[in-house]
Amino acid sequence: MIDSKEASAALADIDDIVQRVKQSQLYELASFAAVWWGLLVFAANLVTWLWPVYAVYAWVAADTLGAGGLVALRIFNPPHHSHGAAFNVRLLLVFVLFFAFGYLCTNVIGHFGPRQLGTFWPLYFMLFYTLAGLWFGYAFMAIGVGISALTLIGYFYIGEAFPLWMAFVNGGGLILGGLWMRRI
Amino acid sequence: MAELDDIIHQPLRLKIMAALNALPAATGLEFSRLKKLTGATDGNLGAHIETLAKAGYVSVEKAFVGKKPQTTVIATAAGRGAFARHVATLQEIIAGKQV
Repeated sequence: MIDSKEASAALADIDDIVQRVKQSQLYELASFAAVWWGLLVFAANLVTWLWPVYAVYAWVAADTLGAGGLVALRIFNPPHHSHGAAFNVRLLLVFVLFFAFGYLCTNVIGHFGPRQLGTFWPLYFMLFYTLAGLWFGYAFMAIGVGISALTLIGYFYIGEAFPLWMAFVNGGGLILGGLWMRRI
Repeated sequence: MAELDDIIHQPLRLKIMAALNALPAATGLEFSRLKKLTGATDGNLGAHIETLAKAGYVSVEKAFVGKKPQTTVIATAAGRGAFARHVATLQEIIAGKQV
């Protein structure tokens, strides 16, 4: 038989591995979401760069497909605890509130031009990534801070090619970040 | 008085069972993922999975994903029960009910 110190150490090992399994599962799901959003953001920025007149349609399509993809991801990967539902109306409300607040800032309180819009939305999106990192793992924070910093560099130092810069920094950053999450 | 399970008590096997037990029933972990989570080497992990499989605590499923072989390890109902009893015994030891 073992003593209480050894038993405590064994339970601590169990807790540690359970946390790692949970984080690994979270990273796996988050990586799908990041890659999906990355592809959409890359495409939308590319459309903005090549055909600015269609930018508004590209972004509405990207946002709709992005939010729809996350809802689908949730439906196909329901939470394991018994009180969770596969389709959670709260998830939809999160998107409604997220975009409503963004719209309020960019079109009601302020009147942002294309360059400001192209900076605000990634920064706003990445703020949530960074905050999520405080609870759910350093990868979220690294992706959030990294993309935010590169977005600001683009805003201040990249000229006409800003949408192209953002295609690679925001879209590419999310894709690479998502793939990196799967390897952690 | 409950006894510690000698098969599960070995440190790496305890980690394997803890990782598998954290998943919903009938869900498993790929060998490579389990290796990363436990920090074990291929050979060591394989040997301990075999010990757990012989005891009926885990089942091993081998499949091909494309051309790549993929091994998935799943905790059986017996394994989950044994793990739960083992954890309960550890908690009893800490609470001073066992010496």
